[in-house]
Amino acid sequence: MKAIGKFIHNNLHLLRRLSQIGSLVLIIVIPFLNKSGINFLKGTYYSISIGKLDIIDPAMALQMILLTKSILITVLLMMVVPVLLALILGKVFCSWACPFNFIAELLTKFKKSPATHVRNPKAHYYWMIFAVILLFIMMLGIPVIAFISMPGQISALIADAIFSGVLGIEILLVLIILVIEFIFNRKFWCKYVCPVGATLSLFRIKKTLKISYNPKKCASCDAKTENLCVSACPLGLNPKLSGAYPYCYNCMECVNECRKNGKALSITFNK
Amino acid sequence: MLLDWLNKLSLKMDPLRPPGAVDEKEFLQKCTRCRKCAEVCPYNTIKMAHGESGVMMGTPYIEAREMPCYLCEDFPCIEACPSEALSSVNTKEEVKMGIAVIDESLCLPYNGILCRACYERCPIYREAVTLKDNLYPVVHEDQCVGCGICVNVCPAETVAISVVSKHKGIY
Repeated sequence: MKAIGKFIHNNLHLLRRLSQIGSLVLIIVIPFLNKSGINFLKGTYYSISIGKLDIIDPAMALQMILLTKSILITVLLMMVVPVLLALILGKVFCSWACPFNFIAELLTKFKKSPATHVRNPKAHYYWMIFAVILLFIMMLGIPVIAFISMPGQISALIADAIFSGVLGIEILLVLIILVIEFIFNRKFWCKYVCPVGATLSLFRIKKTLKISYNPKKCASCDAKTENLCVSACPLGLNPKLSGAYPYCYNCMECVNECRKNGKALSITFNK
Repeated sequence: MLLDWLNKLSLKMDPLRPPGAVDEKEFLQKCTRCRKCAEVCPYNTIKMAHGESGVMMGTPYIEAREMPCYLCEDFPCIEACPSEALSSVNTKEEVKMGIAVIDESLCLPYNGILCRACYERCPIYREAVTLKDNLYPVVHEDQCVGCGICVNVCPAETVAISVVSKHKGIY
């Protein structure tokens, strides 16, 4: 058990990249398989099926509940897997699987300077933006999340392009958001706006996996260079200060960087 | 021409949904845009609406002239639907996707040319489409399920039959 923990701690970046690539490969493979008549895997990141197991994006499920003002047992059952994942590991879907975040992260590699704007904003900004989106859904009666769920949109665009050879114009929406992210380099979307991440954040409890900081073990690499852990954060958060949640999506890049110099940052289930 | 244009317009406002679809308003609320129904359709009948369809983006629809619904025995699309946007039906007779409407000015028998294409191919055989005087096709609203096979097989130069979906535009 301890050896596994150590292995994970020492290879966080590699493991995450593999997971992100795997998630992208999955949504490319699914339409190909279905095109050749194999229906074991089905769907997109709005809702995906692995054999008999149906999984739904909890944000889409929440939207359905708000719009229909009723709760379907089947929909609740489909939420079990993602909700359990969020309860235990936090919103790792965003950082370890979401194709939008993956593309946005890769794009920032083309930026000469990393995000300089480091800030742990107050949590209420996050919840206010989410509340506005939910209010929009209820007032207009329109399934807003179907449009602005970036993992859903990207996987659906890929599925339609491969399965029926049609590229929907909604790709413009994805591109516009990616361009904005690239220009401002602040991860606005993933950090503040995305309702998929916000819904997953609802399920953060005390025991949920978190980044913990032990100042006694800090090698103070900031004296020599920049704060390695801080500049590693794709969301421009400071893991050494409190209040990284609900923004932090547990990508664990800060821990990965910290391991190079010390052991001040670690992932833990304990308070 | 006109019918073609109307077909396009009706698709914008009032698309023909896969079998078992609940009322249009509820359908837009329940459909998760997951694509599973299209992926399992053995005839590749089900298409996906895109951004130009506004609020219907990502929802499934059928263009009967290109490929109608053949009303599979086990309805794999309904089986695949995770959110009951396509609700279960037991037999093909229970399906109610829409109603076929014949344009008599275009329909061949009404213009003196012998044709029984829609009558012969209708899956609700001898019930949904019957021949008046053994010549003229007539659609029976109660029996017609709206699968669109008649639209697909109509040999008239301009399609003389179209499926009007059972829903009315909501947004």
